[in-house]
Amino acid sequence: MLALAAAAALPALAPLAAQDDGAAAPEPALAVDLERGLPAWRAIVAVLAHPRCANCHVEDNRPRWSGPSYGATRAHAFNVRRGADESGFGNPGLRCMTCHFETNSAKPHGPPGAPSWHLAPAEMAWFGKSSAEICAQIKDPERNGGRSLAEIAVHVRDDALVGWGWQPGPGREPAPGSAEATFAAIERWSAAGAPCPEPD
Amino acid sequence: MSRAGTITRRTLLVAAVAVAGGVAFGYYAYRKPYPNPLEAGLEAGEAAFNPYVTIGSDDTVTIIVPRAEMGQGVETTLAALVAEELDVALERVRIEHGPASPAYANIAMLKEGVPFPQFDESWLAELARDGIAVFGKFLGLQATGGSSSTVDAFVKMRRAGAAARETLKAAAGKTLNVAASSLQTADGRVTDPATGRSVSYGEVAQAAARLDPPAEPALKPREAWRLLGTALPRTDMRAKVTGAPIYGVDVALPDMLHATVRMNPHLGAPMRGMDAQAAEAMPGVVKVVPIAHRLGHGFAVVARSTWHAFRGADAVEADWAPATYPADDDGLWAAIEAAADESGFSLRDDGDVDVAFADAPRERLVEAEYRAPWLAHACMEPMNATARLADGRLEVWAPNQVPTLVQKLCAEAVGLPAEACTVHTTYLGGGFGRRLETDYAVYAALVAAETDGRPVKVTWTREEDTTHDAYRPAAYGRLRARLGDDGLPAAIDMKIASPSIMASMVPRIFPGVPLAGPDRSLVDGTFNQPYAVPDYRVEGVPVPLDLPVGYWRSVGYSYNAFFHECFLDEIAAAGGHDPVALRRRLMQPWPTAVNVVDTLAAMSGWQTPPGDGRARGIAFSACFGSWSGAVVEVAEGERGVRIERVWLAADVGTALDPRNIEAQLVSGAVFGLSAATGQEITFAEGRVAQSNFHDYDAMRIHQCPRFEVAVLETAPEMGGVGEIGTPPAIAALVNAVSALTGERLRRLPLSHAVTFA
Amino acid sequence: MRLTVDGRPIEIDAEPDMPLLWALRDLAGITGPKFGCGIAACGACTVLVDGQPVRACVMPVGAVEGAVTTIEGLAEGDALHPVQQAWLDEQVAQCGYCQAGQIMSAVALLAEIADPSDEEIDAAMGGNLCRCGTYPRIRAAIRRAARDGAGA
Repeated sequence: MLALAAAAALPALAPLAAQDDGAAAPEPALAVDLERGLPAWRAIVAVLAHPRCANCHVEDNRPRWSGPSYGATRAHAFNVRRGADESGFGNPGLRCMTCHFETNSAKPHGPPGAPSWHLAPAEMAWFGKSSAEICAQIKDPERNGGRSLAEIAVHVRDDALVGWGWQPGPGREPAPGSAEATFAAIERWSAAGAPCPEPD
Repeated sequence: MSRAGTITRRTLLVAAVAVAGGVAFGYYAYRKPYPNPLEAGLEAGEAAFNPYVTIGSDDTVTIIVPRAEMGQGVETTLAALVAEELDVALERVRIEHGPASPAYANIAMLKEGVPFPQFDESWLAELARDGIAVFGKFLGLQATGGSSSTVDAFVKMRRAGAAARETLKAAAGKTLNVAASSLQTADGRVTDPATGRSVSYGEVAQAAARLDPPAEPALKPREAWRLLGTALPRTDMRAKVTGAPIYGVDVALPDMLHATVRMNPHLGAPMRGMDAQAAEAMPGVVKVVPIAHRLGHGFAVVARSTWHAFRGADAVEADWAPATYPADDDGLWAAIEAAADESGFSLRDDGDVDVAFADAPRERLVEAEYRAPWLAHACMEPMNATARLADGRLEVWAPNQVPTLVQKLCAEAVGLPAEACTVHTTYLGGGFGRRLETDYAVYAALVAAETDGRPVKVTWTREEDTTHDAYRPAAYGRLRARLGDDGLPAAIDMKIASPSIMASMVPRIFPGVPLAGPDRSLVDGTFNQPYAVPDYRVEGVPVPLDLPVGYWRSVGYSYNAFFHECFLDEIAAAGGHDPVALRRRLMQPWPTAVNVVDTLAAMSGWQTPPGDGRARGIAFSACFGSWSGAVVEVAEGERGVRIERVWLAADVGTALDPRNIEAQLVSGAVFGLSAATGQEITFAEGRVAQSNFHDYDAMRIHQCPRFEVAVLETAPEMGGVGEIGTPPAIAALVNAVSALTGERLRRLPLSHAVTFA
Repeated sequence: MRLTVDGRPIEIDAEPDMPLLWALRDLAGITGPKFGCGIAACGACTVLVDGQPVRACVMPVGAVEGAVTTIEGLAEGDALHPVQQAWLDEQVAQCGYCQAGQIMSAVALLAEIADPSDEEIDAAMGGNLCRCGTYPRIRAAIRRAARDGAGA
């Protein structure tokens, strides 16, 4: 049974494992263009901090629920957690994929779905973080899965679970823009030297 | 004021119902038994002894338990009453619910409705109880509710077993040619101890059933009980751990269709029209049927599977007329609070309350307002029923608490006499009072009238279930007390405003029947509590709202124990008394109550403070003939308040199955704690705002506290157990959380004020 | 469409987006898994697919890859599964409607953690709602099943 759980985790971790160490090297220094870079970042963080993304990028092991019928944003019910093994796939007996399959439930308040539904690692937390904090994390290979900005852009454009944020199923507000537009914004931001906003 | 002086205002509601039901009565007719409903359906070789026992020539003993098994363990306990006297092993008998019949009327449930406290043994209270028993006999209401099944059955089902045993002995005496009185019974055989010769029950059953049974056969003394008083393995347990098809939703019949209903979410209002074209074109959908009945207006989608029906129903466009009640919570609460300015009925008015408050100095006054919300039942098994209408006969399979009403209303709905309707009562996936209603069964009957004789199972979605309940009414309490120089309450004055359940329910069952007298349930848990206070008045004001309300586990006690017991804590605080000490003091005339409180104090270590960041609360409620209390301990945690420990003590007089009673007390407490922490039905745009477990959840395993339970048996009368855990658990929690936060909480659910982990 | 349920192959005529629960209940006549909410919020419909617990009320039948185990397939003849036996011994069920799902979640838990702590039980079972409040006995039954080697 443990083997099964590990196998289930593999597809999601594969992109990380496939990283070549060289790819995680710091970006070459570029002239920083705040006027072009900061608006691009604002477009990016509007996506990352949106509940469709941030609700599963949490620091404290509990995914969040939000939306009109939940009142204030709250912890996912049912004692759902990251998983004692830190995998992000839930706990034995109650995995994320016990309820979240590859497609959205058609019912209002039914579980949304996308391939390999799971929580992002805790170091990638966006929930409750400021724009500056998220920016610093995104650029930090120690905390972004060892990715270059170009790889992050491609991940955002192509990953099916990320893409769910714009196709979240009935009754949920999608993340702003689109996967393609966010990919383009990351490219623009990166080209402008990937400036981060001043901390609040 | 004397009790006799108020009797005319206490005209019993049920009286009106029984008369309008078309029965003429007299004492002779009352004594005459209903015919045995089992006579019609006997198998070859099977003999019926009375409405509770049949024995086959193959030695199969069948016991009828004519009460809904909805989790409370009634099947096991009631079957044991018969098996005890009949001298058969419980695991060897076949148990059936049996047919709908007035022979199975629940008299104890109605007795609990008389407007007197359970400990009132005055001639007037007893007269009322006897009177209601006569009415109940004529009403013939076979119902499971009011925590009354065991109390109702305790004598009559033991007598059924004993009468069958005595006739078996008489028949065996003839076979063995010895005096019946010398014979012994054990394990399904009659034995002559002198010779050792014996016959099995099956061998003499046919002959025995033709004999006249003794009118009042001797019952075994408690010392001789083999089964009663012990923890019996539940007779339904194996079916329930193996996934057996035992619930209403599991009914499967040849050629059966599946269906679902969507009724106007503006409760009670008509459907102006609908567009079902798209739905009827969908694969798997058979037809869309409009439904117009006083219980609800809407449509059913009939399909090849329940899922096809659900999908089809989503595609129907219905034009719903608006409801007649205020459209949102502000409007509803305004109506409730306005009603509290009117005068109502009083079932307790001791001393002279007006005089007591006339000259009360401010510093001796305690005043408070309490509010409790609407609640849904949220049974795990959504409402459903299956029906077949063919050849002038209607058959209904329904998980229900009221078989004779299901029979009457379903038959009426399709224009048949009640005798043309057979009701099969399945196990219930939860009842909690929701299945005292009949809407799910009536809709199934109406749909079956449109399926050309094919049976059809009608299953509601969870959303339909949550938004079309007969809700626990919201309630508002305006309470005041005057303290004496000793800090004890010298006068208490309570006014409770809430919609009347009787006023809502009776027209659903018996339209056109005039209502008379007060609805006692509105003030249950306030007027009838064992506290001696010289000037004590409780007034109930029914709020005229045309919104369906119904019986929810512990009914009026569910909100009134909260009002009463939390206000008592406020009185204790204002008067400088400990909550346990104050209760003990006021309860002195009722030692059974004092014993419950003392037991709780000892179990919970009340005298030892619970430590930093923790608090305890206590509450008591005399309800359903029992004496029930709870202590709840809560702790402040990182993610919110946790309910860590709960101590329950209840005096039930006689405990027939202590392990099951423990389960029922815990169950009732969890039910109450679920509601008190977070449940609330609200209204917006004329409809219920909540729809499913994401916004109307209940306690989960990780929120469940540790329980310790004491089942006491000092009370002279046997009380009920199914609901008595709920009222004190709610109130004790509020008292605990109020102590934890230092802020007196007067509104449920508590999630308005605190976060629970 | 072919499925393997409780060790038996079954053939059903279902659209791929039909939830597994309704394919089992209404098409295959396997009514052990119960309908409670339709949105994976109560756990009454829990079955195992390839040994992992899933909420059949939302899983599209077309997405099922692997063998399905329901409450009806746990016992071997008259011999109850150790988890069912523990439920019987602890007298867990009241109305019983949620218990098929509770038992399946417990089987899944014990398959991965042979001797779960209270914390691990709570983390596994929070998705299974019981309105009768049988949780204390569910905990006791899981501990008993663990002692009896249900997870081995």
